[in-house]
Amino acid sequence: MTLIAKTTGTGGRAIPPPSATRRRRRAAETRAGYAFLSPWLLGFFLLTAGPMLASLYLAFTKYNLFADPTWVGLGNFQLLLQDPRFLQSAKVTATYVLLGTPIKLIAALAVAMLLNNTHRGKGAYRSVFYAPSLIGASISIAIVWKAMFIDAGIVDQVGQFFGMSPGGWVGNPNMTMPMFILLTVWQFGAPMVIFLAGLKQVPAELYEAASVDGAGPIRKFLRITLPMLSPVLCFNLLLETIHAVQIFASAFIISGGTGGPAGSTLFYTLYLYMRGFVDFRMGYASAMAWVLVVVVGIITLLFFRSSKFWVHYSGEAK
Amino acid sequence: MKRHTLKVIGIAAAAALALTACSGGGGSTSNPKKTAGGVETGPVTITMTWWGNDDRASRYKQAIALFNKKYPDITVQISFADFSTYWSTRATEAAGRALPDVMQTDMAYLREYSSNGHLLDMTPYIGSTIDLSGFDQSLVKAGNLDGKQIAIPTSTNTLALFYNPDLLKQVGVDPPAKDYTWADFNTFLAKVSDAGQKTAGGQQIYGGTDYATTFWFFLQWLVQEGKTPFKDDGSLGFKEQDMKDFLSLTADLRKAKQDYPFARTTQVLPKTGFSMNEATAEISWDNFLAAYVSESGNPNIAMMPVPTGKDGKKSMFFKPSMLLSAGANTKHPQAAAALINFLLTEPEVGKIFGTSKGVPGAQAQRDAMQLKPGSVDASVVAYEKAVKDQVTAQVPIPVKGFGSIEADYKRLGEDLSYGKITIDAFVKEWFAGAAISTQ
Repeated sequence: MTLIAKTTGTGGRAIPPPSATRRRRRAAETRAGYAFLSPWLLGFFLLTAGPMLASLYLAFTKYNLFADPTWVGLGNFQLLLQDPRFLQSAKVTATYVLLGTPIKLIAALAVAMLLNNTHRGKGAYRSVFYAPSLIGASISIAIVWKAMFIDAGIVDQVGQFFGMSPGGWVGNPNMTMPMFILLTVWQFGAPMVIFLAGLKQVPAELYEAASVDGAGPIRKFLRITLPMLSPVLCFNLLLETIHAVQIFASAFIISGGTGGPAGSTLFYTLYLYMRGFVDFRMGYASAMAWVLVVVVGIITLLFFRSSKFWVHYSGEAK
Repeated sequence: MKRHTLKVIGIAAAAALALTACSGGGGSTSNPKKTAGGVETGPVTITMTWWGNDDRASRYKQAIALFNKKYPDITVQISFADFSTYWSTRATEAAGRALPDVMQTDMAYLREYSSNGHLLDMTPYIGSTIDLSGFDQSLVKAGNLDGKQIAIPTSTNTLALFYNPDLLKQVGVDPPAKDYTWADFNTFLAKVSDAGQKTAGGQQIYGGTDYATTFWFFLQWLVQEGKTPFKDDGSLGFKEQDMKDFLSLTADLRKAKQDYPFARTTQVLPKTGFSMNEATAEISWDNFLAAYVSESGNPNIAMMPVPTGKDGKKSMFFKPSMLLSAGANTKHPQAAAALINFLLTEPEVGKIFGTSKGVPGAQAQRDAMQLKPGSVDASVVAYEKAVKDQVTAQVPIPVKGFGSIEADYKRLGEDLSYGKITIDAFVKEWFAGAAISTQ
């Protein structure tokens, strides 16, 4: 501001050399830029970075919200390793991620390839398949899902029609995981749209050339589609893995916030929430949160490190 | 035209702001009025919160409307939630020293709040603003921790065995005899389940839920065994063997699948097998009668005392419930105290709530309840009167971390019902958790 005032205030003076003007203008632009960024910056430092640092401190303390935190060093992390429910929650989440994410991506890729070959009504289909991704994480869908899978719910009724009597899945510890995997697979729309965009980028000449050489559809898929799609696949896989690790709302609603029956829906974030806001062990919960951050960080790092072995960027000599 | 309209709106908005500013200023500078209760208040706004369902909310709203007739200067902003959400929110508020002015509290969480000074000591207001002359004094004592009156219970609950006479008739089993023991109760539960009767909806009728997986029933049993569940120093007054013994009571029922299946319990939530008319009996707090009658649609649901202990006594206790507290951070302690007094002692409020929060501690409220013979309220009051001779024990005062250890017990009970863990593993894990939660 002062700079601008000075230049305009001394209007009679000769115009300064262009380089100085440019510098001043650039400085003013920088300030304006930061001014426009400030809502986001304030939000980031006050609502994200600040609380994250605070939770890093709390992870090394005992803190029950009522009294001031007391330093316990690595105590929380030692307790974590002895906590059978922590291991259970890690197991439940790992099962969910390792089964749910690949199935979801396979479904997404399959539908994307079908859509890529259709011409009529493509937009309509794309919207219809994408819709569950928009609403899938919502509370209402979790409630609907629960209603579908209880005793005498629609799934049970269909099962009985075909002569099976599976009973409600919600109350059966062996069936809750398939129920959650179905819920995530049903939301394949988001990765599907990305796959669809990726498929459009694959040059048609490659397929034509392969056809001329006598390659069948499976060979074309394995030798052309998959390698050409590998950057998109890498992106989707990473995104969906991180997304799956964070499952919370649906698990909270379907299990009534308990992680039951018999701990079969005790997802990591749900257990973290319970430790923090039901047992009021904020230090412990913060420690869990940081373990999750580190694990997700390692997974991401592994993805990036390994990508050079399996992700093919066109134009690269390989 | 458009610009003109905007200008008018702008001026109107500015005027409105100025007006409210003026009236606000006027309010705060005007002399505090002496109102009916002798409370000095200007126009103040206080917040009040509770847990419970819509039914309770509408009763609270009626009570607060009455309060506003008497204290027009006190505006009460209300909010409510279900039990578990309620406590998560309060804990977060406590961390920010921003608790509501008036809040419903429970014995289970009182210690956390008391030991760190989050609740207002109401001692100075008792006798002046809060009139407890017609109040059950043992109840008042229950809210006094470490010499500070941080809460006052609204009412009492005691445990009862609810049974559904119509369902029992269908099954062809009589309700337990008056002096039934825990073993007799087991026989009864098994007999009903073995009858193999079905509801109209095709669900099997069971005797009842596995009672051994509820923490409060364990405490009742411990009291009958002559133990003090929680000692004054915050330590536990029972050993692993005690818990093993209690859990073993229903081991045979669990093995023979004669108890209401847990897989079904989780699916009928928030109802229970009993209120779904799929189980014939259930132990619970006596103020549940209203909910049981409305959920099951059966007005004939009856109550009887809990099973008898080994010394031939039932050793029941009155649990102080629905305590009212004020946040220590309140800026209007007088107004908060006035509201607490009104809710606790006003006869009309007693009429509004009936026994939905338990039997009121204030004599005036008990007298004001219009007890139609055969009504839910009449049954609950009659029950507490009838069992008075059997209420010979002191209620176990929950230790710090009670909420967690109770939740742990319930969760492990679930695992036990599914056969995922043994009784020994249950007890071991519970004590390990309790060691951390209660310290």
